[in-house]
Amino acid sequence: MKNIEQTGIFFYNSPELIPDSLDYTELATYAQGYKNVSKIWNYNDFPWNEENILKKIESYHLERLVIAGALPGSLKTLFSKAMAIAGKDPQDVILASFNAYGIYSKKDIERAKAILACAILDIPYEIAALPDEASVNPATLVIGGGIAGIQAALEIANGNNLVYLVEKTGTIGGKMATFDKTFPTLDCAACILTPKMVEVNQNTHIKLMSYCEVKEINGQAGNFSVKILKKARKVNVSTCIGCGTCSEKCPAQAPSEFDSGTTMRKAIYIPFPQAVPNKYLIDAESCIYIKNGKCKACIKACPVPDCINLDEKDQDVTIEVGNIIVATGYQPFDSKRMEQYGYGKYPNVLNSLEFERILNASGPTGGNIHFRSQDKKGNWIFNTESEKPERIAIIHCVGSRDKNYNKYCSRVCCMYSLKFSHLILDKLPEAEVFEYFIDMRSFGKGYEEFYERIKEEGVSIIRGKTAKVEQKNDKLLIRGEDILKAEIIENEVDMVILSVGLEPGEDTAKLSAMLGIPVSEGGWFEEANYNTDATGTFRGGIMLAGTCQGPKDIPDAVAQGSAAAARVIRNILRGKVNLDIDKIPLRAIEQRIKELSTIQ
Amino acid sequence: MSIRVNPELRNQLIQYGIGDWNACYHCGTCTAMCPLSEEGFLFPRKKIRLMQMGLEAQLESSVEPWLCYYCGDCTKTCPRDANPGELMMSLRRYLTSRYDWTGLSKKFYTSETWEIGFILFFAVMVVLSFLVILPSFGFRFTTELTAQGGVKVNSFAPIHIVEKFDWTMAIIVASLLISNILRMYYKIIWKSGQEKVSLFVHIREFWLLIFNFAVQPKFSKCDDKNYWISHWFLMSGYTIMFIVIVVYLPWFQTEKILPIYNLQRLLGYYATFGLLFGLLVAIIGRARREDVKFRFSHVSDWLFLFMLTSTVVTGILIHIFRINGMAYATYIAYIAHMAVLVPMILIEVPFSKWSHLAYRPFAVYFTQLKKYAIPR
Repeated sequence: MKNIEQTGIFFYNSPELIPDSLDYTELATYAQGYKNVSKIWNYNDFPWNEENILKKIESYHLERLVIAGALPGSLKTLFSKAMAIAGKDPQDVILASFNAYGIYSKKDIERAKAILACAILDIPYEIAALPDEASVNPATLVIGGGIAGIQAALEIANGNNLVYLVEKTGTIGGKMATFDKTFPTLDCAACILTPKMVEVNQNTHIKLMSYCEVKEINGQAGNFSVKILKKARKVNVSTCIGCGTCSEKCPAQAPSEFDSGTTMRKAIYIPFPQAVPNKYLIDAESCIYIKNGKCKACIKACPVPDCINLDEKDQDVTIEVGNIIVATGYQPFDSKRMEQYGYGKYPNVLNSLEFERILNASGPTGGNIHFRSQDKKGNWIFNTESEKPERIAIIHCVGSRDKNYNKYCSRVCCMYSLKFSHLILDKLPEAEVFEYFIDMRSFGKGYEEFYERIKEEGVSIIRGKTAKVEQKNDKLLIRGEDILKAEIIENEVDMVILSVGLEPGEDTAKLSAMLGIPVSEGGWFEEANYNTDATGTFRGGIMLAGTCQGPKDIPDAVAQGSAAAARVIRNILRGKVNLDIDKIPLRAIEQRIKELSTIQ
Repeated sequence: MSIRVNPELRNQLIQYGIGDWNACYHCGTCTAMCPLSEEGFLFPRKKIRLMQMGLEAQLESSVEPWLCYYCGDCTKTCPRDANPGELMMSLRRYLTSRYDWTGLSKKFYTSETWEIGFILFFAVMVVLSFLVILPSFGFRFTTELTAQGGVKVNSFAPIHIVEKFDWTMAIIVASLLISNILRMYYKIIWKSGQEKVSLFVHIREFWLLIFNFAVQPKFSKCDDKNYWISHWFLMSGYTIMFIVIVVYLPWFQTEKILPIYNLQRLLGYYATFGLLFGLLVAIIGRARREDVKFRFSHVSDWLFLFMLTSTVVTGILIHIFRINGMAYATYIAYIAHMAVLVPMILIEVPFSKWSHLAYRPFAVYFTQLKKYAIPR
């Protein structure tokens, strides 16, 4: 056993850094309970520079230094250098980093104490706070049937394990199914995705629960009991043959969710032709029978007896699973919130998801770019009868990197905007395309090359975000500053596309409470460790995949889906799962450190 | 020409106002949003750039801060909360201190002690003049009233002495202000390195100066016209009062109580109304802090409002007490009136917030001159 090592603690509690900070006085009182702690300083006690730290080391004969704070990592070099100058071992500078273990608020004081105790006695927190284990049910629940959820479900199911894939809408596929092409490879999105969707349907280990929602989660890691709301589809999935006769006869219409409202669908509908399951469903909100009690046109038209049951009610189903993967995805930023761009006011200001549908061969215009025009009844619709635009502007960072809306960068908008430019020039070679950007973020493999390629294609790429869009006769007038030329530019264009950012899915807060996983700044699910465990959470047996953890592109979402699946398969193969990391009591951790530590 | 960089510029500027100006990532929204920003005279983003790069000389020779009337649209839409509107406001304070050759303006803007100290010094001097100096020359506080029952003001504050004092003060203030405007001209036009402007253009465009002083057409282009109206009332009220007091004092400060429809009283009442209306809008705005332009108040903003309001209120009191024959009340109100008016004129007009009465119209004039100087 080593002798008592004189340890000095430095609290990096600068008020500028951490507004809602922990109670550092309480932490100090706690730390004083350890015999090897000789002195504790706060950030404001003296200016933290080499000279002063050296003085403290020498006057208190310190052998070890602990820097504790939200993110103290940046100070390690300074302290190590001071230790080296003092003739001590520069390795004896220990960090107690609270943010690294997900401690952001006052209520986590017990875990903060545990982290501090580990640093004082020089035991890695991961070892001291090793959670207990439980046996694991081999079935897995995947929440969300977008590309990340599909990938995770397939990985697990292909390892011969049972997966319940719960999807809120009538089909899996998520947002990716609505895209035309993917960047930077310009692959057809549907061509990549639909085979995977079909595979989900055909894999006997996957129980696909479409049009269902998770209602309640009980139990703990390894043995969750999940109550699922099976929303009334009103069409029998096992008998429906997908012929579409019902939809043809249905008199009620509603905007198509799949086409981002650019087309209309019937009240009994299939989200899109390649939907999985390829079965019809009834939207209760637009169905005339459900509103008035009269109609039944679909039942009369249906060739299969008893396939449609308009009086079907929602049901609850309970399933038992051992692991859960959350892959609930994102929703696009609502461009109506930025009034200056006139979305919702001017018919030819579109958001990016709408424009994806316009570009898509299965979209309202068959993949040709046309104006939104008024039909005989005065409704604004897309069809191939109207003119084609000649000048199109794309505005970046709509709702992203903006403190009035979302502070974060949504990561995908720059690249999909460049993709739009390419596709516009592909379809309208005579058109002029303008990209209004602030900073171009082309950070991935092949992305910068893609950017260079688009520049060479003759797109006008203007640095400077637009301030406003106004209708001027038939044209849209864009006013912005070209900051490189330092000139105000007023540009008359025919169509404006808003590159909207990503926001957490609408059910994130509800799920967060249900799962017991906190959301981090911006509303995204919080991972266990940003750098080293981006798929794990503080709850044992619950993993994250895809954009529900933070904005990301398709390759990253797919990779994270696979990573989450690997974690699940690990748990199943081991037969055991770690319980919640933040539920271990402080006393248990203290006990374990005392057993392990060589410092008295 | 070498360019000098002052890395401390941002830290110096922060003393003149509040803003996280380093946060700006140059998206250009503010400039494009601004209804007053025009080709060749773009702001606020370009000014933020100069500030971030520490280009002191370029910033000092900028005319743009004076072309901004602070509607706050830039701050409202700024995606970085960098507060460009407040930067323009702070730059106006900074430029005022740069035009001023005495160095007092900088002291007043950056130190409350200096500003309040000077105000108190002049206030005490005024009170002493009335209580000690004037009586020693034989001017008395008399309770004797005029035939109409009014207070004999001119026996307490003799008109020929007050008038001489007025003119002295006006000359001091005017010479300070004019010298500062010459420095402003030197920085903006002379040193700009642009083509020189002919004297003919100087004379031809001079009408802009007067027009902009009287109407402030640029202010009316800012989004909320109500502020332009209330500011115009304040400005016109003040200008009338100033002319009447400096040039026509013997006509204005009479012992005789004139009929209510007499021009003397009508002008006085209009000026009082204009001042009070403008002041009320500004005070309520600054207290509620809802509008962007009123959200961040510098000490000098509140001091100015306080002094101007006190001047108006004491002025009203003098009038009421005088015509009602309340002698001592009149004298006290008169001394109080002068004790706020004198420091306000001496400090605010040449050195602080009120100097904008000259800088703003001159800036519009200089901008026009610069347009002719830019080689085409």
